[in-house]
Amino acid sequence: MGGYWSLRSWDARKNLLLVASYIFYGAWNPPFALLLFATTTLDYWLGARIAAAPAGARKGWLVASVTANLSMLGFFKYGNFLLENTQWLLARAGIAYHPPHLDLFLPIGISFYTFHSLSYTLDVYRGATTPTRSLRDFLLAVSFFPQLVAGPIVRAADFLPQCATPPNPLKHRLQWGLFLMSLGMFQKIVLADTLLAPVADSIFGHPGPVLPLDAWTGVIAFSGQIFFDFSGYSTCAIGAALCLGFHLKDNFLFPFAAVGFSDFWRRWHISLSTFLRDYLYFPLGGNRVGAVRAAVNLIIVMFLGGLWHGAKWTFVVWGLIHGLCLVVEHAFRTLTKDGAWKETLPAKLLLCLVTYFFVCISWVFFRAPDFSGAGLLLGAMAGQIPVGEAILTTREILQVGLVIFGLWLVQWRLRDTSLEAAIGRKPAWLIAAVWTLMLGGIILTQGSGNAFIYFQF
Amino acid sequence: MLLATLLLTALGTVAWEIRARALGYAPCLNDTSDLWADQREKVAPDSVVIIGDSRALFDMDLDALQQGLGSRPLQLALVGSCAYPILDNLANDETFHGTIICSIIPAIWLAPPEAPPYKNSLTALNRLRTRTVAQKASHHLGMLLEEQIAFMKQDDLVLSQLVAKIPVPNRAAYMAPPALPPFFATIARDRRTRMTESCVLPGALQERVKQGWIPLFSPPKFPDFMPKEVLAGMAASSEARFGQTVVAVNKIRARGGKVVFIRFPHSGELKKFEDAGLPREGPWTRLMNETGVPNIYYSDYPELVYECPEWSHLSGPQSVEFTQRLVPHLQAALAKK
Repeated sequence: MGGYWSLRSWDARKNLLLVASYIFYGAWNPPFALLLFATTTLDYWLGARIAAAPAGARKGWLVASVTANLSMLGFFKYGNFLLENTQWLLARAGIAYHPPHLDLFLPIGISFYTFHSLSYTLDVYRGATTPTRSLRDFLLAVSFFPQLVAGPIVRAADFLPQCATPPNPLKHRLQWGLFLMSLGMFQKIVLADTLLAPVADSIFGHPGPVLPLDAWTGVIAFSGQIFFDFSGYSTCAIGAALCLGFHLKDNFLFPFAAVGFSDFWRRWHISLSTFLRDYLYFPLGGNRVGAVRAAVNLIIVMFLGGLWHGAKWTFVVWGLIHGLCLVVEHAFRTLTKDGAWKETLPAKLLLCLVTYFFVCISWVFFRAPDFSGAGLLLGAMAGQIPVGEAILTTREILQVGLVIFGLWLVQWRLRDTSLEAAIGRKPAWLIAAVWTLMLGGIILTQGSGNAFIYFQF
Repeated sequence: MLLATLLLTALGTVAWEIRARALGYAPCLNDTSDLWADQREKVAPDSVVIIGDSRALFDMDLDALQQGLGSRPLQLALVGSCAYPILDNLANDETFHGTIICSIIPAIWLAPPEAPPYKNSLTALNRLRTRTVAQKASHHLGMLLEEQIAFMKQDDLVLSQLVAKIPVPNRAAYMAPPALPPFFATIARDRRTRMTESCVLPGALQERVKQGWIPLFSPPKFPDFMPKEVLAGMAASSEARFGQTVVAVNKIRARGGKVVFIRFPHSGELKKFEDAGLPREGPWTRLMNETGVPNIYYSDYPELVYECPEWSHLSGPQSVEFTQRLVPHLQAALAKK
C-alpha cells in the first residue's frame, strides 16, 4: 500500500493495481487469468459495438455478450450438471445415454467476475453508462483484486467513474478501511471459523440422525457461519478497496434483523439481489404485470438465483423456498395493507422471527450435501426421527446460542442505520477497545483457517 | 485511535506471551500438514523415508540414522495416523526407488478409510497436492513466528482450544469422545520430534498423557443407527489392507526400493492393552508373512526394550540411544533380499 500511494502518477497506480490483481488471480491457476482477460476484453469490445450500433442492431451485440458470458459460465460451472440431468431425463424416456464426465476445473470466482463484466454491456445497452475508452480501466474494474473472487458484485458503472480522478490518501478513509478489514477478518476467522463452523460441520457432516436440539443448533450455527463468512469477505474487500481509495457499496445491511423476505433481500448479498432485480426481474416486468405474473417472475428470479450458487438441485430448492416466501409475503402484504399492527414492536419481532425460521429452513438445503441429508436433518428438527444422537457438547450449544443472540441483538439495534454512522457516534476509546479485542481474537486464532464458502461459487 | 489500538494490541500480545511462557510453553513449530508437505516435497528417488505413526516420529533420531545409514532420512511419520496412504503414495511415485522405514501398530495400520487415522494421512497428502503459492508463503512466514513466539500452539493455546476448556457439564445423552493428549512434544523444521522435559519427568502432565492412551485407543461404540452393511464394509476395508500393503510393497521393490517394518517400544498398561487387543501372532505376523518385508520387533532384542515415560514414546535422549542401537538391525534388514 505504501508503494501504491508513493506513486505520483494515477496511471501508474492503476497499472500497479491491475498487475497485482492479475498476479493475485493467476497465483491460483495461471491459465485462468488468460480466461479472465479474454472475457473482459470481449465485453470491452462488445460494449463499444453496442454504443456505436444503430438502434436496431444494439440488441444483437448485447445478445452476443450475454451468450458469450453465460456460455462460458455454463460450460465450466454447469457442464456436468447438464449432462447428468440430460442422462436422467433420457433414462426416464427409456433411452440409455452415457455422457463422458467432463473433468472440469471451476475457475475460482467465475460467477462473480462474469457478472462484473456482464453488468458493463448490460448498462451500456440500457444507457446507464457510456462505454469507457480505456481497456486498462475496464480490465481493472472487472479484476480489482479485493472483489474479484467472492464479491461484492461491483458494476462497472459504479467502478469506472472512480478510475477517472485520482483519490487522495485521506487519513480518515485509511483508518476506516483498516477498521473494516479488521472487522471482516474477525467475522471470518473468529466468529465463522472458530465459534460456529465446527458445530455446523459436525451436524451437517454427521452420517446419522441427531436429536432435535442438536439439529437446530447446527442449522442456526450455519446461518451465522455463512453470514460471518461472506459478510466478513465483503467487509474486508470494502476495507481494502477503501485503503486504496475506491468505494465499494455495502453487500450486507444487518440481515438478521429483516422483517419479511423482501426486507431480507434488501439486506443480504445486496449486490446479487440488486443485479437480479435490475437485469432480470425488471426486464421480466417486475410487479407491474399483474399479481400472478409478478409471482411467476419472482419464482424465476429466485430459481436462477439459487442455480447461480452452484450446479446442484439443493441450491435450486433453496432459491425456490425464498421465491415462494416472497410470493406469500406479497400476498400477505396485499391482504393486510391497512393493518397498522404490523408496525408495532411485538409484530415486527414476531415477523422477524418467522422470517429467520424460514431462512433457516432454506439453509438446510443450501448446506446439506444432498436431499436425503436435508430430509434427515429437517426430520430431526421437527422431532420426527425416533432415534438420534447427542453429538454437541452443552458448551457448543451455549456458544452458538450466545453468538447468534448477540448477533441478532446488535443487528436489531442497528437495523435502521449504517455501521459507519453507528460507530461514528461512539467515543474513540470504546472503538479502540473493540478494535483491540477484535485484533486480539484474530491473533489468538492462528493456524490454517477454512476457505471462504463463497469461493466455490 | 489507530495508534491506541496498535499499542493496546501490542501490550495484550506481550502479556499473553509472558503468560504462555509462565505456563511452561516455549517457542516451537506446530506439526502441520504444511510442515509434512515440505518434507514430502524433498523426497528424491533414492531417499530414505520414515513413515508411520507417532512412535516413528518420537523414537527415531535423524542424526543417528544419518550416521548409521550414510544418508539423512526424511521424516514423514504422522501423529495418530495410518501410514498406508503414504506408502501407497510413494509406491505410485514412479521415480521413487529409495528406502522406507515404516512403523506398524496393527490397530492403526488396519484403520478403514472412514476412521480418523486414515483421514489424517489423506489430509496431509491433500495439502501436498493442493497448497497454493500463497499458502506456502504463509506457512514459511508462520514458521518464522512460531520459532520466536511461545503462545503460537495450535493444539493448545488457540482460541478454539481455550474456549473448549471452559468447564460446562454435558447432557446425559452426550457421548464424549476421548480427549487428545495435551502439548507434550516439540518439533523442528525437519520434523525431528522430542518429548518435552515436563513430560519426561514424573508429574501431572506425564500422568495425564499416560491415562489418555487407553481411552483414545479403545474403539468407540458404534451408534445404533449405523447400518450393518456399513460396519461390514469397514471390516472388509481392514481385511483388504493386507492385500493393498502387498501390492504397494511389491511396486516399490520392483523398482529396486526397500521397505522395513518396525514395531517400536511401548510399555506399562498400554503395552498390556495393545498385546491383549491385537497380539503379535495376529495381524502383525500375518502382515509380515504376506508381504515378506524384513521386520524388526523391538522385544526380540533386549537392547531395544525401553520403559517409555508416558508408556507410548521414548524421551529425546532415549530416542538417540534407541536409534543407535536400532541401526545394526536396520542394516541387517536392508541387506536382506
